[in-house]
Amino acid sequence: MKQILILLTLCMATFTYAQDELPNVRLETLDGATTTLNELASDGNVKIVSLWATWCVPCLKELDAINEVYEDWQDETNVELIAVSVDDSRTVKRVKPLINGKAWDYTILLDTNNDLKRALGAATVPLTLLVKDGKIVYRHSGYNPGAEYELYEKVQEHSK
Amino acid sequence: MKKFLVGIALLGSSLLFAQDKGYFYGGLESNSQWLLDDDGLPFIAPDEAFRSNNYFQLNYAYGDFSAGVQYESYLPNALLGYAPDYDGGNGIATYFLNYRDKSLDVTGGYFYEQFGNGLLLRTWEDRQLGINSALHGLRVKFSPTDFIDLTGVYGQQRVGFELSEGVIQGLDAAFDLGSALKTGEVDLRAGVSYVGRYQDTNANDTIPSTVNAYSARADFVIDKFYGGVEVGYKEEDVIANEGLFDSDRLYDGTALQVNMGYAQRGLGINATFRRLENFSFYSDRTVEGNQFNQQLINYTPALTKQQDYMLTNIYVYNAQPRLLTEGFEQRAGEVGAQVDVYYSFPKESPFGKVNTKIAGNFSYWGGLETEFNEDLSYDVKFIGDGDRYFRDINFEVKNRWSSAWSTVATFQSVIIDKGVSLGGPLGVQGDIKAITGVGEATYRFGKGQSFRFALQHLWSQQDRGNWAAGVIEYSPNSRLNFFIADNFNYQSIDGDFETDSQFEDPLHYYNIGGSYSKGRTRFSMNYGRQRGGLICVGGVCRFVPESNGLNMNLVVTF
Repeated sequence: MKQILILLTLCMATFTYAQDELPNVRLETLDGATTTLNELASDGNVKIVSLWATWCVPCLKELDAINEVYEDWQDETNVELIAVSVDDSRTVKRVKPLINGKAWDYTILLDTNNDLKRALGAATVPLTLLVKDGKIVYRHSGYNPGAEYELYEKVQEHSK
Repeated sequence: MKKFLVGIALLGSSLLFAQDKGYFYGGLESNSQWLLDDDGLPFIAPDEAFRSNNYFQLNYAYGDFSAGVQYESYLPNALLGYAPDYDGGNGIATYFLNYRDKSLDVTGGYFYEQFGNGLLLRTWEDRQLGINSALHGLRVKFSPTDFIDLTGVYGQQRVGFELSEGVIQGLDAAFDLGSALKTGEVDLRAGVSYVGRYQDTNANDTIPSTVNAYSARADFVIDKFYGGVEVGYKEEDVIANEGLFDSDRLYDGTALQVNMGYAQRGLGINATFRRLENFSFYSDRTVEGNQFNQQLINYTPALTKQQDYMLTNIYVYNAQPRLLTEGFEQRAGEVGAQVDVYYSFPKESPFGKVNTKIAGNFSYWGGLETEFNEDLSYDVKFIGDGDRYFRDINFEVKNRWSSAWSTVATFQSVIIDKGVSLGGPLGVQGDIKAITGVGEATYRFGKGQSFRFALQHLWSQQDRGNWAAGVIEYSPNSRLNFFIADNFNYQSIDGDFETDSQFEDPLHYYNIGGSYSKGRTRFSMNYGRQRGGLICVGGVCRFVPESNGLNMNLVVTF
């Protein structure tokens, strides 16, 4: 009972003071180097951070759909998409051939030990974040066709 | 434990009024089901018809420090098919305190870690599978230079709300040789790992109290080519099956995994070969091969494609790394390979104009060719001609015809050993052969509305015969989604359901549901029948019984 009380207190505190900081978690690039989202997202532009996996159908649909309009988005807002794969060692070897086979132009990072996924409390993928100046300004989980337009409206809103 | 909690609470509350000094993050996940009687399946709902798995995770980060707790409850019981260790459980399941700077990373409490490909060690959480194998103890990561990473772990694995009997210690060293040797264009990495398990032998001298395992790995990238290899060795240990030792004889184990690929814009190819001989590794030797995947130290998932559709997920492979020596079933492991190809047609080409993308996958997995001797020793070939466990050939073609219409066509031909798919000994019950075709179309209209349709058919002369399935999904906007689906097992093997003892009539597995997702919250709900069988996530499977009921899921992240 005591435990539950303490938890509830913490819970309340959380909802009141939850800050949208980017978790300071180490991620791997496709070359095996280490980086963090903070290092990549500190140039003042809006970044889309998408947690995805090679086995996640809605993730692939979302990233395919954005890829069709990605050039226009970049021209208009300088937005950059960072696609963080949460594939574990079973499927992580598929990431490189898949992104090439799909001809995606995103920055790809690997979260093989799922540290970022846990830090963001992401129970499922896709999870899409908008990040500006190291803060998460918008988030959406799941993908329905057309959700990319709403995402882009948010990108435009925060690019001003 | 209590002190730790109070500490966290104090830490939390003391910082409540100093907002700029740190931040909270975490999430809540709640998965519940209400089981209902169903004469058609047939399924009789258990007395505890309502079941619920809940996870509440709260973390706090402050400068170089972070800490967190995860509270879990499985009340009144865990969802159907979960390990009984969880039933009725509730309490703080994991917690951690972490310090991290540029070269040092120290974690006390529960942590998740993986060495290399996971052949020796991987502790992880998958809530859908009911797996949480976090180690409870201490982890230290140290990077003395830019090109060396050292990791040491010590602890006991979590089992339900308890800890395993076995004590795990491990060391991993990873070297970025490319940077160290300045190889320029060539990227080269290498690593070595050690994992040891100590377990009391209850004064049985023939069993080693400590079993050690070693591995070495190397990975390279040269321009568009890349590849890697990892070899593993596990010292001698007794073999247990369903909690009992097969004999006093000790056996060692080996593993080899080789991966090669090629990737350029528009084309990607990847091939993986793996051979596992007696390479399952558990925290507690007596739970070897348990069906709930509890206390697994290493990670040897099925290296096959995770299929996307209901009917292509009926006959799925589950890796077979174990050695069994008992008379009625003797086998030593598995060997096989898979190849993936991804290709996008260039935009100018006729196929490129309709955005054609193709993906193909082939996999073959079989048992090791093994001869067992009278004294239960065995001779094994490196590859040989063992029993075929699984073969899959599949490809899909994706097109975007216009901004409104896109389609996916999928074909799969699968052969699976009945033992792998349905249970029982492998290699003696015969095969199931199935061919599946799927057509899917998505139509978008208005502002963010869409319809998705999928038609599926599976042809088979074995097991439960033919299936037809359909899905219709409607999204009025990006937040809402509704679906209705049916898998229809309409014709048994000889066209006569009377001969099939378990499934006497053509059977519909219908489902209806929807989801709502906004910002930090996602809620979904569905009602219908659950087909019994293996549910696999990331190549690891758990068995779920047939059931009927209402399911609800809520996820909130913050």
